[in-house]
Amino acid sequence: MTAALPSWLVALIGPFIVLNAVIGMVTYVTLLERKFAARMQSRIGPYRVGPHGLLQPIADALKLMMKEDIVPRTADRRVYNLAPIVFLIPCMLIFATIPFAPGLGVADLNIGILFFLAVSSMEIVGLFMAGWGSNNKYALLSAMRAVNQIISYDLPFIFAALVPVLLAGSLKLSDIASAQAGLWFAFYPVIGQLAFVFFIVSTLAAENRVPFDILEAESELVAGFRVEYSGMKFALIQLGEYAHIIGSSFLGAVLFLGAWAGPGPEWLGPLWLLLKAMFLFLLITWVRWSFVRIRVDQILTLSWKVLMPATLLLLISTAIVVVWRAGV
Amino acid sequence: MLETAKTSRVEFDYSGGERLMMNMGPQHPSAHGVFRAILTLEGETIAGVDAVIGYLHRCHEKLSETLTYAQYPSIASKTDYVAAMTSEFAYVLAAEQIGKIEVPKRAQYLRVIMAELQRVASHLLWLGTWCMDMGGALGGGATVFLYCIREREMILDLFEMLVGARLLYGFYQVGGTRYDIPEGWERKCRETIDFIDQRIGEYDALLEDNPFFFARAKGVGVISRELAEDVGIAGPLLRGSGIAFDLRRAAPYSSYEDFTFNVPVETAGDCFARYRVRMVEFRESIKIVRQVLDRLPPGPISSRPGLKSVAQIRIPKGEAYARVEGPRGEVGCYLVADGSAKPYRMKWRGASFSNLSVLPHIIPGHKVADVVAIMGSVDPVFGEVDR
Amino acid sequence: MSNATLPTRPINPTSPTSPGGSERTRATGTTPTRAASPTNPVTIVRAVAKAMWVTLVNLFRKPITVHYPDQERTYPDRYRGLLALVYEKDTGEEACIGCRLCEYVCPPAVIKVEMLKSEKRNYAKSFSLELYACEFCELCVQVCPTDAIVMMKSFDLATADRREMLLDKDRLHAIGLQYQQSWATGNLLRAMQGPPKMARAEEHAKPAGSDA
Repeated sequence: MTAALPSWLVALIGPFIVLNAVIGMVTYVTLLERKFAARMQSRIGPYRVGPHGLLQPIADALKLMMKEDIVPRTADRRVYNLAPIVFLIPCMLIFATIPFAPGLGVADLNIGILFFLAVSSMEIVGLFMAGWGSNNKYALLSAMRAVNQIISYDLPFIFAALVPVLLAGSLKLSDIASAQAGLWFAFYPVIGQLAFVFFIVSTLAAENRVPFDILEAESELVAGFRVEYSGMKFALIQLGEYAHIIGSSFLGAVLFLGAWAGPGPEWLGPLWLLLKAMFLFLLITWVRWSFVRIRVDQILTLSWKVLMPATLLLLISTAIVVVWRAGV
Repeated sequence: MLETAKTSRVEFDYSGGERLMMNMGPQHPSAHGVFRAILTLEGETIAGVDAVIGYLHRCHEKLSETLTYAQYPSIASKTDYVAAMTSEFAYVLAAEQIGKIEVPKRAQYLRVIMAELQRVASHLLWLGTWCMDMGGALGGGATVFLYCIREREMILDLFEMLVGARLLYGFYQVGGTRYDIPEGWERKCRETIDFIDQRIGEYDALLEDNPFFFARAKGVGVISRELAEDVGIAGPLLRGSGIAFDLRRAAPYSSYEDFTFNVPVETAGDCFARYRVRMVEFRESIKIVRQVLDRLPPGPISSRPGLKSVAQIRIPKGEAYARVEGPRGEVGCYLVADGSAKPYRMKWRGASFSNLSVLPHIIPGHKVADVVAIMGSVDPVFGEVDR
Repeated sequence: MSNATLPTRPINPTSPTSPGGSERTRATGTTPTRAASPTNPVTIVRAVAKAMWVTLVNLFRKPITVHYPDQERTYPDRYRGLLALVYEKDTGEEACIGCRLCEYVCPPAVIKVEMLKSEKRNYAKSFSLELYACEFCELCVQVCPTDAIVMMKSFDLATADRREMLLDKDRLHAIGLQYQQSWATGNLLRAMQGPPKMARAEEHAKPAGSDA
């Protein structure tokens, strides 16, 4: 089978499957979120398209594809058109290093987590291009906020994500996952819980979800950096955003919730991982639909004055604990 | 001259300077078609704001000169469509004042019930939309909004059971009310207000202690006592700035003196103070409704026969200014009657209009995000601003 | 910004104003009771947990959505909906006598009636109602002496063509048969409003044969 195929093709099969799975998942995760949010608000949510609205994501996708693609006359055409793709690529790339089961992943790099963190912060380039290229005041303000916010929150995000790295003693995601065979890092006394909470908070901010969604802030900036986008380009941005959220949820599940560990036979592993990632996703969604957003200066204050020192301290104390335990 | 007023006029610099002019409205999610705020930004900070109103002008004052006293109360509800009962109330009071028309006790009490229920409904809508402005239609704000709408719906159901309509009621008429409460309404009303009383605690839990909400509302948009007096704001804004002025207490009308209630006052003058004032008003309104229901006397609902023709109500020559405490503050109606069935001249004093005039004084110096928070806490209804 | 006329100062609330109302106007103070220090991490955690608990509780409440076209909520008796003309119950004749009272009272002036004089009683020669401009204020129902114009318990008026909402006499009669009628009729409304004994001396309006 595989022997008959050229090696470059084999190398493409995995990414192809993952990519399509991610796109499929994104479409249905939007439905999940809408249903979840609707129930939280005493509504029903999508209901008309298909049984209980199950075909709604497909209808939405079709609608977005058929929409007119408008480029503002004063926009910087090249930047404007390129931005959604630049935005989408890092959001998709982050799935490359996530191990869905022991040995099942596109590329289990030995610096997997570093790759994830590096690539996921690349999305800001696309964001800024979109905001700048639109030549729109709302979009520009939003892009300014985006740069502020994402740079500020990537640091606590990284520090929080490095805690499991220290605990596991490896940058390889599959190693981190298997290091949690006994105890999930989310249940590691004190350090684990704190790191988990910080991770969730900085994920919320890095994904610009409410209460940190000042980039979009539709009551102030209409739709922020994507205000001028329509049709498929808008869909690409949306796709990228959700892919990023799901990617972060998977990362959280791998780092803190024991990845594929769970009762049942081993082949259920990916399912467990998926469940845990969806749990994280719903947790993020739950927070999102429970709070009002805060102001840009407050967000920066929170990041630099609270989260940064706190995560740094946590990281240092984790290091001390690890060294101490190794010494004992 | 007020000090803050000076900064509100800014020379717009189109030559590529540091300042950026940004339109908030009329095509904008926070001012959907009815209001335009021209913001001058320095980075994220607002240097000046020019408010443009008039998008919803419908010639209400002129229109009222062409409609009789029988017709206009049904239209008056359209000035402030969020609290439709209020403007009807003011108009009817003015006409009664000129004509020296007695209103039966039962009608007065019914008017109080409706006015207070309307206040609860209006405050619910305010809370929801304000949180949606602050929290986003794709976030917690929308959740609060839908909770509020859910509870407001129950009050609208009460109104619907009573008058048959949900938005524009036409409940008041000169000399009394047009509708008496139907069977079972009182019980349902009690159930509803008990339920809403309970749910208000939930909003408190969702918002008041919430650090995010607190950060957004505390210290934002401070209206000092002096500014409040100078600009002439009314209602919860005034009481949020430390002035205990409530028409229901200061100049009672329609038997408000029969009921006991508190007038909440906060001294901070910021968005959070206004929030607190309104949250207490919720409970006070519910308290009043309970008292009225307990003491609702039997009897006629109108001192005049039911309307049979358009020109049935004639008011003698004279003029009067009647004012009621609406959810947004003092709603006044100045009426000049010339003895015919139509008023000679009519003038509305909309609470939203005077409240809105405080915006250029308090917005400069805040961040863009605060504009929506401040505007929401002012709670303008543009039907009432533009009339 | 000219600030020529400052509004008058509000009435001083400290002066004794209302005879009733045992509870005085009171200042509840400036600082909220519990959220005094939102920087305290314990307060923050507790508040966040409280807010999220509220949304969680609501997650398990029944949605209040009504699937409208499939399922209609029950309309109250006094529902003000579509307007219609009815036939008299005993004789089966058209109840409208073309008196044009509703035309006069209609605030947005959407009703146009022409009277057809006849021997025993009058009829409406034509009766048109522009439903697209109607306010549903129920004043036409209120003044109708023969209870001819009534409202229906339905708001089913959506159409792709505005002209379909210009209702003539036949359409109005058809609507009257199609939907369920609301409680209100002219006589019932007037009976509800009228005082049992009128103090006619104080009446400024012409009596106009007004009976309760």
